[in-house]
Amino acid sequence: MASMVANGNRDGRQGEALVLKGVDPETCMIVFKNHWAQVVKILEKHDPLRSNTSSNMAALGVIGLSSGGPMRFGGPIPGDEASAVQNYVEHMLFLLMEEDAGQAGAMGPILEFVVMENVMERLFLWSLRRQFTDDMKLEQLKMYEMIVGQARQPLLHHKPVLRPLMMLLSSCSGTAGPEVEAELVSLLNQLCCVLAKDQSVLELFFHTSEDQGAANFLIFSLLIPFIHREGLVGQQARDALLLIMSLSAENQRVAQHIAENTYFCPVLATGLSGLYSSLPTKLEVPGEEWHCLHREDWLQMPTLVQFLNSLEFCNAVIQVAHPSIRDQLVSYIYNGFLVPVLAPALHKLTLEEVMTTTAYLDLFVRSVSEPILLQTFLSFILLHRHENVHILDTLVSRINTPFQLGTVSLALFQTLIGLYCEDVMLQLILRYLIPCNHMMLSQRRVVKERDFYSVSAAKILALTPSCCSPEHSPPPLRQLDSILWSKGTDNSPNTGTMETEESFLEEDGSGYSCVIGSEIYLDVNYLHYLYNARLGISSCTRACQVWSAPYDGEDPPPEEGRQAQTTTDPAPTNQLELEWDDSYDAGPVVSPEAATAESSRPPQPPAAEPPKHIQEMRRTAIMLVKGSYIEESDFQDDVMVYDLVAKKDARDTVNSSEVIKGSKEVKAHVEDHNSNLQSPLATEVGDDLMDQYEELIRTLGSDEAGTGGSSPVKTVDKEFRNPVVTPMEEDEVDFSSFSVDTPELEKQHLSLFGTKLRSGSTKSHSVPFTGPFVSVLLSRLENMLDNSLHVNLLLTGILAQLAAYPQPLLQSFLLNTNMVFQPSVRSLYQVLASLKNQIEQQASTKKDFPELITSAQHCLLARESSLKGQDSRECSPPEAGRMMKSSPPPQPKTISLARTEVFATVLFTEFLKELAAIAQEHSILSHVPMEE
Amino acid sequence: MNLNPFWSMSTNTGRKRSDGEEQSGEQQQQQQQRASPARPSFGKKQLPSIPKNAVPVTKPASPAATAQLANGTHASYGPFYLEYSLLAEFTLVIKQKLPGIYVQPSYKSALMWFGVIFIRHGLYQDGVFKFTVYIPDNYPDGECPRVVFDIPVFHPLVDPVSGELDVRRAFTKWRRNHNHIWQVLMYARTVFYKINTMEPLNPEAAVLYDKDVQLFKSKVVDSVKLCNSHLFDQPKMDDPYAISFSSWNPAIHDEAKERMFTHKRRPEDHQKGLQVSGLSWVKPGSTQPFSKDDNPPQS
Repeated sequence: MASMVANGNRDGRQGEALVLKGVDPETCMIVFKNHWAQVVKILEKHDPLRSNTSSNMAALGVIGLSSGGPMRFGGPIPGDEASAVQNYVEHMLFLLMEEDAGQAGAMGPILEFVVMENVMERLFLWSLRRQFTDDMKLEQLKMYEMIVGQARQPLLHHKPVLRPLMMLLSSCSGTAGPEVEAELVSLLNQLCCVLAKDQSVLELFFHTSEDQGAANFLIFSLLIPFIHREGLVGQQARDALLLIMSLSAENQRVAQHIAENTYFCPVLATGLSGLYSSLPTKLEVPGEEWHCLHREDWLQMPTLVQFLNSLEFCNAVIQVAHPSIRDQLVSYIYNGFLVPVLAPALHKLTLEEVMTTTAYLDLFVRSVSEPILLQTFLSFILLHRHENVHILDTLVSRINTPFQLGTVSLALFQTLIGLYCEDVMLQLILRYLIPCNHMMLSQRRVVKERDFYSVSAAKILALTPSCCSPEHSPPPLRQLDSILWSKGTDNSPNTGTMETEESFLEEDGSGYSCVIGSEIYLDVNYLHYLYNARLGISSCTRACQVWSAPYDGEDPPPEEGRQAQTTTDPAPTNQLELEWDDSYDAGPVVSPEAATAESSRPPQPPAAEPPKHIQEMRRTAIMLVKGSYIEESDFQDDVMVYDLVAKKDARDTVNSSEVIKGSKEVKAHVEDHNSNLQSPLATEVGDDLMDQYEELIRTLGSDEAGTGGSSPVKTVDKEFRNPVVTPMEEDEVDFSSFSVDTPELEKQHLSLFGTKLRSGSTKSHSVPFTGPFVSVLLSRLENMLDNSLHVNLLLTGILAQLAAYPQPLLQSFLLNTNMVFQPSVRSLYQVLASLKNQIEQQASTKKDFPELITSAQHCLLARESSLKGQDSRECSPPEAGRMMKSSPPPQPKTISLARTEVFATVLFTEFLKELAAIAQEHSILSHVPMEE
Repeated sequence: MNLNPFWSMSTNTGRKRSDGEEQSGEQQQQQQQRASPARPSFGKKQLPSIPKNAVPVTKPASPAATAQLANGTHASYGPFYLEYSLLAEFTLVIKQKLPGIYVQPSYKSALMWFGVIFIRHGLYQDGVFKFTVYIPDNYPDGECPRVVFDIPVFHPLVDPVSGELDVRRAFTKWRRNHNHIWQVLMYARTVFYKINTMEPLNPEAAVLYDKDVQLFKSKVVDSVKLCNSHLFDQPKMDDPYAISFSSWNPAIHDEAKERMFTHKRRPEDHQKGLQVSGLSWVKPGSTQPFSKDDNPPQS
């Protein structure tokens, strides 16, 4: 029956339309009135009250509806009468739809009649009088969808049309079958389209709702339950809601209503939580090199697709909606999803779960485009404390896990750094560099200096291991090719083709190289690095134009920066909860302010017993250091444990001093966050534990001393830890211009610092520290030879990304090889230099090393060209010589990927070129006002 | 040596720099890129091809380079260092905004720059002198760059035969990091405003200046006239990036002039209009993340 109406209408429409064309309006009117007269006869026959007043009927209708039961007056209505009405109504609706508006927008005669006679409302009541089944609802919905969508004159402006529609809609709001829901949403969507085009209807929608006693915006409220629905229905509902959202941007009343009287924002935000809870808590990871959720990954996870749809919808709402709605939504997402759901999920018990959550977070950050929503996510990551530890600190510490969690965390940071967001960079790195105490005082003026003569690039490239020197590799690996230019005889200035001697200039032109003069080979591969560096730096520079400061060592001023560093972390309410963080700290960490305060106070009595969670933590850590660590549910102590796990993991290859250094890093890390929050109690606990820890380290160290082999590295290490100004640098840096008293100051500072570190008893806030992020990155880089290829690709990618930032503070720290840092500060160059030495050592002890290098180069080239053919809409930033993405590579024939040191060597060489190219481009780019 | 992608940038900035400056009468400076080689729009891994006729001027073995030739790495990258050093110098020149001076590195070699200097007042007023800067190939460790005027200007410090300006007296020893090419250009400008007759390359001019300023002045006027009369000559050097002048042609120059003046306003439009991809919620003067006032409430 229902489908009869709809189908009948649709099928017959074209025919009717044709027939109606040319028929004069008066005839149509007469036909319409006749039909209506017939309908009324039947209607009245079954009207229990025999009353014509529509207002009464409406009242009855509403009462009937609210009582919930199907309405029947005077027994069942015979089928033939019902279908008769049906037929008449069909014809009448055609006539109504086809009618043109009258002069100057007046109603056409049929519409006027419909309005006067209250036709629509009476028809609605008629359908209520019969059994108001889903079929009946469907029929009515379709009827309205048709006339609203196809009428030639505005119908919704007229209450007698609008009101029954609203009654119908509200009667459909309860439980209904999927078909009705689909039709309802489709009609609502259509109504929203009408609203978007013609806002004058809006008032009426509100008023009509008020008539019903509920001061709501019915079509909006009806859509809310469908927000998170999957499939077409959900999509249509979200589209419709978006139309209203953009309406709200211009219409204060709508905005206010939605923000104050509806549950739109909470539903939307908590819906995210609901959808999130149905996501798999552990991902099936395709392989060891997997590190982030790509499109092809999540497309196969329906729950994730659904979540992303809703997230995308939030993004869209925030983009178009009125600020009041926007702010409310953002706040609900923060307080209703991120804090209560995502934060605990990031601190789950097993590695896999935590890894999975991290991958989700990375995907979410990549999916969000609207700055305000992005800001919400970022401020969650950067500032939120979960159980008194910053999410950011936890995430940073996880980079150091040897497990896949480390890789996934790296990928997350790659995403974050790629946002060119000042706040991210400030928290991760810049705030540690602003005070400028990572460098010698005299070096501050060097920060802004630029490297005119590519000295840094030359020094970086000079680290190229001898086994990888461009001259040593045979073609085609040596991407040098000799091309002789014909000299000057040919004067035609058209673009000449190159004369090549070699034959491999095929694929993509990447094999180009040239000889200048006759003998010098240019590493043409390096041209690509230069080109990519140029692209990277210019886009980064352009993006950073919105930043608040240049970060050039003067703005923000170093003094202020120091203040900022101490005030970044507001004092927590409960100090006890933070204490585990200090478990490894050697002694009281005293900030200058605290120190003065403490001296005037009598010493506090020591606590009898450390809190339970500290004891737990200690047990874990001890087990860990002893090498008996078993993965168990102790991962809430992330910061410390991950670092230690990593150290333990690296223990076989790195000498014990490394471990100690690692622990120092942790200390410094911890100290940075808690320097002003110390309680004497924490100190006691820390001392106790630290003693045991150091004891363990000692035994560990003596064990390793016997094994030998690592000692050369040790000395080398030492060498690079204390950078000396070589004669070559002397003419770069004008020492004569240093102020007379500066060296004294430095010496003082140095010795002070030295004792502090050694004794571990007192530390001041001014201990140079470049931040946990840099420290963790560099320590992972230091292990490059043991890292798998994909970890190294990520690591070097992140560092290259950082190096492309134009801020002099960052640039000078990462790329300026002339910079003299404080002895305790590890620079990228030092790490690279120590890597070079490790590599040279490997090369000298392993006979087949050159061969292996060649195979690895072949393997990487093959991998690169195989990946080149693949889809490139990756999330990863443009990668220069980087050869790998997420998919498993074809297995190399001659060399196993397990020979990490070999692959790392090849990658190291390429990374040097990448860095050098970035340094060179900086010297000519960053200081030039950008064009275009 | 030609790394075109990089040069394309520098020549553009050069052109931009010369924009909006004084346009004296009917003489219009036009930096013409005659038969400028096509620049292929190259993708990630493509480089523009190198024209056949480009003769590398760089000689491989400078003393400094040979010293480091033992290190193979340096040999492979040495030319890059030189190229970038010169590019850095050029960007410095741009940054200095020297009044009335325009330079442009040649197409064929980064070691040769074409320039022109406009004298706006003083004895040499209205003089437009073209010159070439020659940079030693062991830069920055060699001698100071040479400046040679296309036409020997009548000036105590300009060699009347070769047209070379005595630059060395100002830069007795070229010191890397302290001396820069913009200083040489600055010096080339200064000599026309502040006449020095000590140890002249053109003794006649020096003597006249000291003994008979009136005659000196008239000789200068003649010299300026001579130089300006050759302004529209073909450039001495056959190089696509050589500076050449042509008389005002509305069909070409009007549009260019228009663009120059609109260009000036662009930096601000640029910041507001174009979508920038970077993000910042840091309040200027603060080092706290999310310190801007207009942040939506988070909790």
